[in-house]
Amino acid sequence: MRVEYINPFVESAMSVLKSTVSENVKRGTPKLSTSINNIQGVAIIVGLAGQVSGRVVLDMSEETALNIASSMNGERLDSLDELVSATLTELGNMITGNAVTKLHELGFKFDLTPPALFAGSNLRLTDSKVEALVVPLELEEGSLCINVAIKENIYK
Amino acid sequence: MKSTSDFPTINAKIPDGLKDDGSKYRVLLVDDSIFVKKQLQQILLSQDYEVVDSAGDGEEAIEKYKEHYPNIDLVTMDITMPKMDGITALEQIMAFDKNARVVMISALGKEELVKKALLSGAKNFIIKPLDRVKVLERLASVVRK
Repeated sequence: MRVEYINPFVESAMSVLKSTVSENVKRGTPKLSTSINNIQGVAIIVGLAGQVSGRVVLDMSEETALNIASSMNGERLDSLDELVSATLTELGNMITGNAVTKLHELGFKFDLTPPALFAGSNLRLTDSKVEALVVPLELEEGSLCINVAIKENIYK
Repeated sequence: MKSTSDFPTINAKIPDGLKDDGSKYRVLLVDDSIFVKKQLQQILLSQDYEVVDSAGDGEEAIEKYKEHYPNIDLVTMDITMPKMDGITALEQIMAFDKNARVVMISALGKEELVKKALLSGAKNFIIKPLDRVKVLERLASVVRK
């Protein structure tokens, strides 16, 4: 997996979180993941298709999800209702949209699917034959992981 | 004796959302996310714009534009939406009213997308995340032209 594809997503996540959630965002140590990942409780998933295919997942606990949505709305939100879902999917949309914009400038052409939100306990994410890079991000609202799996398509 | 607040000062800024005659600029919000709608509404109301209506997809945007026409001054238009995307809705609104003032708002700022929107008649293109000050500057530059 080429690092050129991954960095824009992590940088975009840092900058979008800083401007919409809180100033202090720390980036943890990235790790490669080859097969199954446990989801912490809430996952926002955006698919990528075109010159590359793959997906980006923002994974966090329900508590962190509610804290982030509350900060973005400027009011306390206590349940995963329509506003919280719309807020979190918009977060996924902004992070991936900004990253894809940067990648287009670098000559990589692909599009995004609309973000989807999955919530529940005991969720697992399995990728077949695609390596994923997982980068933990720490903020006052809690910690989340950005999980990016991309492969280049042979046809151009 | 009158208090000083009764006298207008040269520093008092007139809110962006008010026309010279004191009436409000009327805005149609188009976005499929209730979060973005809420955020835009707060930004617009802070400067006395009037949000006349909102739509959650391109088809509804065209219906609402026609319903409120000619009492509509500005449209904020998302691009990726269900049923009909914002570029198609922009094209149809421009075909109906060549003087329509539509500003695109998207998280995706790919050059070809921005070019296509501007060539189709959009007056400006704002990339999310929304920065309150920048949004107000862009919208004011469009309505005051």
